[in-house]
Amino acid sequence: MKKEVVAMLLAGGQGSRLYALTSHVAKPAVPFGGKYRIIDFPLSNCVNSGIDTVGVLTQYRPLELNSYLGNGQPWDLDRSDGGVHILPPYMREGDQGTWYKGTANAIYQNIGFLDLYDPEYVVILSGDHIYKMDYADMVDLHKKTGAACTISVLEVTMEEATRFGIMNVDAEDRIFEFEEKPKHPKSNLASMGIYVFTWSKLRQYLIDDEADPNSSNDFGKNIIPNMLAAGEKMMAYRFQGYWKDVGTINSLWDANMDMLAPRSSIDLYDPSWPIYARTPIKPPHVTGPDAKISHSLVTGGCQVDGTVENSVLFHSVTVEQGADVQYSILMPGAVVKAGAKVSYAIVAENAVVESEAVVGSAPDDSPEWGIAVVASGVTVGEKAVVSPSAMIREDVKGGERA
Amino acid sequence: MNDLHGILFAYRSDANLGELTRPRNTCSLAFGGRYRLIDFMLSNYVNAGITDVGVIVHESYQSLLDHLGSGKDWDLSRKHGGLRILPPFSYAEQGHGEYRGNMEALAGVAGYLKNIRQDYVIMAWGDVAVNLDVEAVYDQHIASGADITVVCTPTLNGAPRFSEYVEVSADGRVTDLSVHPTSAGKALESLEIYVMSKQLLMDMVEYCAAHDVHSFSRGVLQPRLKSLKLMPYIHQGYAGRFQSVGDYFQRSMDLLDPAIRADLFNPARPIRTKDMSNPSTYYGPNSVSKCSLVADGCYIEGEVENSILSRGVIVEKGAKVVNSVLMQGTVVKAGASLAYVIADKNVTINADRMLMGHSTYPLAIAKGTVV
Repeated sequence: MKKEVVAMLLAGGQGSRLYALTSHVAKPAVPFGGKYRIIDFPLSNCVNSGIDTVGVLTQYRPLELNSYLGNGQPWDLDRSDGGVHILPPYMREGDQGTWYKGTANAIYQNIGFLDLYDPEYVVILSGDHIYKMDYADMVDLHKKTGAACTISVLEVTMEEATRFGIMNVDAEDRIFEFEEKPKHPKSNLASMGIYVFTWSKLRQYLIDDEADPNSSNDFGKNIIPNMLAAGEKMMAYRFQGYWKDVGTINSLWDANMDMLAPRSSIDLYDPSWPIYARTPIKPPHVTGPDAKISHSLVTGGCQVDGTVENSVLFHSVTVEQGADVQYSILMPGAVVKAGAKVSYAIVAENAVVESEAVVGSAPDDSPEWGIAVVASGVTVGEKAVVSPSAMIREDVKGGERA
Repeated sequence: MNDLHGILFAYRSDANLGELTRPRNTCSLAFGGRYRLIDFMLSNYVNAGITDVGVIVHESYQSLLDHLGSGKDWDLSRKHGGLRILPPFSYAEQGHGEYRGNMEALAGVAGYLKNIRQDYVIMAWGDVAVNLDVEAVYDQHIASGADITVVCTPTLNGAPRFSEYVEVSADGRVTDLSVHPTSAGKALESLEIYVMSKQLLMDMVEYCAAHDVHSFSRGVLQPRLKSLKLMPYIHQGYAGRFQSVGDYFQRSMDLLDPAIRADLFNPARPIRTKDMSNPSTYYGPNSVSKCSLVADGCYIEGEVENSILSRGVIVEKGAKVVNSVLMQGTVVKAGASLAYVIADKNVTINADRMLMGHSTYPLAIAKGTVV
């Protein structure tokens, strides 16, 4: 059936800069903020914006993401018409078919899916940003201005502008120039990688782009510049509020820490814009007689008997008596045993830090310092030491240093 | 997989629970931080593979409807079967207020019972906190050749005048059933959970409707103990009943015992409940949380000790909550102090108020009250 707006969520990236955290799952399925996975933010934004048809484009390690999305029920996306659809690359007649070659190619390969719903507008989203945004408001601007493409932009500082794709706009916020990571930025409006296209326009540009053998089939590199060059009307939509890219270990850690100040970053408690998640069935968390918790998030199924400060605990985490967790992120099922010390670290799902082991340390001046990461399912043995910025993918034996 | 149909009685509104059940029936009483009492038996049914459940309600069931919704949180939102809420439809003695007994309740939904597609039925009250292996009860029922299997507990905790007890002979058959006696003696306490064939249930419902018999225990079981083979299933785990405010408080505090939690929240048979999409609980820089059970979505900047906090509770700076049960949305403002208090949904305790009950007489505050 025809839909006015369909959202396409690009979730196929490996997220290689998250290293050990994405060795088993696609980046959008990485746990975030105590109860969520990264993809919950754009998905919940869709639902809260009234978009009920979402295509999720996957190709890298999709199994966990697929089972997480399921029929879309936690997001109220289990619809009889529309809902959430997982869109992997597929084979065609005559041995045709390829992996998604780029962001634009991923949408190109799913022209058939979009044609099923014959939308007026398509919203293109990515699965690696944490933010709340009313896409309906952006679509309204797109309609009102009669644009072919509307790009969501964020005001950044001029120093930061050198790291982003920068939109140069006129007095009406019409984009006349796009510069990727300019050395001398002319504006401070950074693209957030969120686009609204008039589908009939985009459809033609995707077909033309596919025919160009020199194209890298990417929105930022090809489609946007081509549309600008052709003189299409392209508008900037100014977004205000919290927005964070969580594509690196540091930014993922940072953004999790931001959730500890919900009143100043993203208010997850705001009932008017809930972020939905598929939540496992767990009883409330329990604090023991010697528990000491401060400035932290704690989730269902946790058992805290030790000290937890400035940290984010996902569900079913155990912090034993005498254990000390500082400025860390403990993903679902992580265990920190008695006397262990975890600081400035990300301990992934079901990893175990045995008693009196040490993982990470407080920042010092050394250039090697960074967040320590223990990958999912890994055991850090008794009295073992994991250095700051280490990336642990395999078990560390007791007493060893890694 | 089995051939069981689940029935839950959800019309009891216990006067002794005072403030806590005034706006609702006991099945929708909040318990254990994130649950309603009905979650326990309903999850037990679902965990045993039961796909069709009828919930018999009578009055004040709005909060129950709101909680159960389509049944999707229990995977009971189905094309065939699934969850059915059964309000009174047509029964002989209309206008009596509450059903006079569970046989009258069953007669009131006789049309529904006829269409049950399973050969066996389990029926229970929806207001018992228990993690029961219903599949094991069913297996024993089939293996023993009993006409009716009744689930019993060796650990007595109900008040005798509201409870039922069975005596069992050497060959494991129930020889006597006493209903609401003055004292319990050393008999087994019945949890009033029964398994029987659909056919037997239908026969009994028809007989009772024709003879104006309302009570299953008094009207059916007691007179027929010799002709019906009634066998007990002994549930060794925890079972919590809620017959007074004091009971409610004690059962809540039971949850601070790790062994009881391990039994009641057995991960192999999880207790499901309505998903509210709460974020994690936030603890502020100078907060204290000791020996407590805290649900998601709370915002704690004060002190919490020996307490049960439901979803979305706020404890402001300098506030102190000890030995208390705070239901969903309770706000304890700065400097307030609570001990032995049960605060129902959306209660607000203003700054610097001091409220104190006693372990034997906890102070219950009605839904929505501002203190």
